[in-house]
Amino acid sequence: MKQVKQTVKAKFLILVTLTSAACVTSTVQDARTSVTGINEGESVVIMAKSYHLGNETEAKYIRCIEDNLARGRRGLRVIPHAEFVDSLFPWFEPRTAPAETKNLAKLMARPGVADKIAEHGIRYIIWLDGDTERVAGGGSLSCAAGPGGGGCFGFAWWQKDADYDAAVWDLQGLESAGTVSTDVSGTSFMPALVIPLPFIARTQAKACKTLADQLHSFIVQDETI
Amino acid sequence: MAGLLAGCGSNVKFQAPTIPAPLLEKIPISVGLRMPENFEHFVHEEKVYGREQWSIDLGRSNAALFEQLFAHMFADVTVVGPEDDPQLLPLHALIEPSIEAFEFSTPDQSNTEAFAVWIRYRLRVYDQSGDLVSNWPVSAYGKSQTTAMGGTDALQRAAVLAMRDAAALVIMKFDEVTHISALAEKSAAASGSPVELPADETQDTEVQTTALEGPQDEAG
Repeated sequence: MKQVKQTVKAKFLILVTLTSAACVTSTVQDARTSVTGINEGESVVIMAKSYHLGNETEAKYIRCIEDNLARGRRGLRVIPHAEFVDSLFPWFEPRTAPAETKNLAKLMARPGVADKIAEHGIRYIIWLDGDTERVAGGGSLSCAAGPGGGGCFGFAWWQKDADYDAAVWDLQGLESAGTVSTDVSGTSFMPALVIPLPFIARTQAKACKTLADQLHSFIVQDETI
Repeated sequence: MAGLLAGCGSNVKFQAPTIPAPLLEKIPISVGLRMPENFEHFVHEEKVYGREQWSIDLGRSNAALFEQLFAHMFADVTVVGPEDDPQLLPLHALIEPSIEAFEFSTPDQSNTEAFAVWIRYRLRVYDQSGDLVSNWPVSAYGKSQTTAMGGTDALQRAAVLAMRDAAALVIMKFDEVTHISALAEKSAAASGSPVELPADETQDTEVQTTALEGPQDEAG
């Protein structure tokens, strides 16, 4: 029994190794326009730039950034974006959300807005723009099954690009603190000789981890810098 | 929401949305709200070309939207039923919303992973004398990506987002477009005169000019 368990475990490890062996390249960069920092009790909120403006940032990517920023002992306090949008209705709907920092003063002057933002302790709004797209693919893979069994034969590949920009707005000074961007490209392969072996590039997950780590560093930067 | 897939068609039944309490100052007037019969049970049926038949049952979502929205926007709102005589009610204005179009696109059609919904409402505002003072088309849009929960969830989410979009536009622009708050001053000047509101909700739009979209008021 123990040997069976070890065999299953070994097969699982091989599969994990194979599926994580696909090719992924990433770059991340930031451009700072003001000094940042965050105090105890202050929080951030992650928002997607409006789809009225053509943006298609995925909801699951926003949740991933939220989770990664909040994770760990040094995690930030993150207000879930849905809760934030509901509590400030209708001023952060896709139609009404401010597109530029110069609109923030007018927004904060609206009844109840400044109080609600203070209640949440929000110091930074992070606006995400971008998406993950399949940009290329090829190969041929076919599968068949019969009375004697089945199997697949062939080779397929595809490439995905994940490009995301994050604009950081500082609500303390009602100004832009800067931008952080990441560009990840991943190529996945799936050769099949009876059994298909997926080598999956986790492009979006990599773009999430990369951007969240950089955003964390960007925000908690020592204010003396 | 319950979404049922049957054969080559899709039947989707929506639950009424809840609009969050908005951050705004109420307009201090009394309005009547008279909704068309189809707001209580609105069904959109469409055959997606070359694909499947869709039946989308919004139920009383439209009625719920405007009941909640105007209750948040005005100091006093009276829902005027078909049997009610608005002339007997102490109102500064009567608002009649209607729905002119409901459209949607599926991920197959848009070649994306999202459902999109467009809704066009029309808001007619009558003063105490029963004159049409504003005739405003409100176009709204919502989009939601498909999830592991399935396409019908995404479609409902897109419809709710479109309704929230309409609510946001109405909150932002209603007084600016319709000048409804000025009707209180007008009625104060004419105090003592009976409230005369149109008894027939189908009273139409001789004052309508062009089919403008967005915040323009067609009644001028």
